[in-house]
Amino acid sequence: MRLAGAELLESREILPGQWLQSYHAPELVAGARAGQFVHVRTGDFSGLVLRRPFSFNTIDPLAGTLTIHFRTIGRGTEWFTRLRPGDRVDMLGPLGRPFEMDPRTQHVLLVAGGLGMAGVRALVDEAIRDGRQVTLLFGGAGARDVYPSALLPDEVEYVVATDDGSVGHHGFVTELVPEYEAWADQSFACGPLPMLRSLASLASSRRRRLGVASLGRKRGAGRPVPAGSPQARRKAFLQVSMEQNMGCAVGACLGCVVMATSGTPQRVCREGPVFGSDELEWEGGW
Amino acid sequence: MKSKRRVVTSAPAGHTSKRRPTVRRFKSAILPASTRVPGGSVAAALPDARASNGAARDGSRLDGASSDGSAAAVDLTVDLGRGLVLDNPILVASGTFGYGVEYGEVVEVQRLGAICCKGTTLRPRVGNPTPRVTETPGGMLNSIGLQNPGVDAVVKKYASTWSAWRVPVIVNVAGESIADFTEVARRLDGVPGIAGIELNISCPNVGKGGIQFAIDPEAAGAVTAAVRRATDLPLLVKLSPNVADVRPIARAIADAGADALTAINTLSGIAIGPGRERPLLGNVYGGLSGPAIKPVALRVVYEVSQVVDIPVVAIGGVTELPDVLDFLAAGAVAVQVGTAIFADPTLPVRLVDELAEECRRRGLAGYATLVGTALPKRAAPPSSKGVEYRP
Repeated sequence: MRLAGAELLESREILPGQWLQSYHAPELVAGARAGQFVHVRTGDFSGLVLRRPFSFNTIDPLAGTLTIHFRTIGRGTEWFTRLRPGDRVDMLGPLGRPFEMDPRTQHVLLVAGGLGMAGVRALVDEAIRDGRQVTLLFGGAGARDVYPSALLPDEVEYVVATDDGSVGHHGFVTELVPEYEAWADQSFACGPLPMLRSLASLASSRRRRLGVASLGRKRGAGRPVPAGSPQARRKAFLQVSMEQNMGCAVGACLGCVVMATSGTPQRVCREGPVFGSDELEWEGGW
Repeated sequence: MKSKRRVVTSAPAGHTSKRRPTVRRFKSAILPASTRVPGGSVAAALPDARASNGAARDGSRLDGASSDGSAAAVDLTVDLGRGLVLDNPILVASGTFGYGVEYGEVVEVQRLGAICCKGTTLRPRVGNPTPRVTETPGGMLNSIGLQNPGVDAVVKKYASTWSAWRVPVIVNVAGESIADFTEVARRLDGVPGIAGIELNISCPNVGKGGIQFAIDPEAAGAVTAAVRRATDLPLLVKLSPNVADVRPIARAIADAGADALTAINTLSGIAIGPGRERPLLGNVYGGLSGPAIKPVALRVVYEVSQVVDIPVVAIGGVTELPDVLDFLAAGAVAVQVGTAIFADPTLPVRLVDELAEECRRRGLAGYATLVGTALPKRAAPPSSKGVEYRP
């Protein structure tokens, strides 16, 4: 975790109301991994008292740059769109725990719902860099929300579903998942809560539905791993990146919690934002 | 009538306060005596006319400028009572700094005056449903609901770390009943690394045991007195602004034996959720903090510091040095920084430097002459003549 200035290199509106900004921040990019995020201070000190969390959308350690992808939903995000190249912002990061890939995983299934693309986009690069095959399922409301394929590497298989059927599959992105379930070794998702919830229930019944046998100590089965540890997440078939209203983003304020199956609320900023889907309580009141 | 104001440690030699029974000394909280500036009434040497008023009014128990007027090191130490001596008057507020370890990588934690840790209860609490925080104009609403692992887990997990720290850690204590408060205080008593207790009798975000102790003078006095009997730790009590008149409550708490008052906790408020179908926060109600509440905090500090003799620690919307100076002028001897830490984690440490620099600029050796300058000037006690001669 470091506190550093970041200089805006490029800012553009890639979709209506959705922006992609590139910053030069070598101190923050060093050691950053997919799934982590930065907490950025707005320069509007008059009314905005909180920083804004953004997932690393892409990370380029050699150039020392990172990109963030966001939708304008309020005064804070609108302030960011008014920044011009050369402007500096104050970033805190890298924060949170990253996605954990099992070294044996060959086939990676990524599921993004809407702006959830910002959460898993960096993992596309990471998986392809490590020589894995990547399928990215994307769900959006309509054609105007579909993340441009030009912004994705060529190696990725990109499948789109839209609620209104204007592009790709007509329906929810979760309806595409069963087709890839048997192929995938691991899957990673980010998006709205109902989408994550239905993916979690698919993941929990996957072994039974696909008839996957538990063969001895494969994938470390049977060996106890500490809950919440990187090993626990590496073992999970589905890892999700959670979203929650955030205050401090370092674990001090306890504002951004999600309920775990253990009964102890977990901080999205510290124990998350990436959780194994079996770590979280999906049906609770939270 | 206020005859004395215990503000800063370097009182004239030989002066003893009758309100200070046993003095527990915490090595982490005390500077070597040699680094203190000798006290003395030096109001005449001060360049600031208002400061000399303040000095006279406060009974001259003040740090002075060094008599030769040279720019010596500025002494920012402040005594909150019972030997809780802070290196400087900038504290971090409960709930915004976790247990002091979370910000360790980006903040020079040891340079803070003190850390008030997250509200701690007897038993573990999971807290309120989410969403728990939201931004509002010039502030934020939170309704964490006192999520914490319970006092025993806090002591086990953090006390040994704290005991090695130079910065004193004040444990913020909450409870549902007087018995809860006293039991938590008893378990914290004598634990190395715990420099004091801040009674959170004013949390607006929990159903039971939150606010009711802070809105009634008798209940506030009762819980303070009970905790006072349970522990010798320095005892701060945090006031709620969600009352009609805070003065009788402050007086009851002071009379019950609190060493200092903290003012203020958050203001109760709500936000409306997306679609306007229900309130936004999972708990419906939240506590408002941030720059938006600074005028309210100033008012409470201004009122309270006139009716009690114990130190007042101000909190509410501090984002820059002028805010600190405002609170000092309103009668506070120390200031807690809260919500502003989220945007600017290094702010509290910077405020320490800026306050020292401000004192240096004004030629002061300590900041005591900045305290209470905006309070009404009390020239003489009110006359009783009219009463005596009434026909």
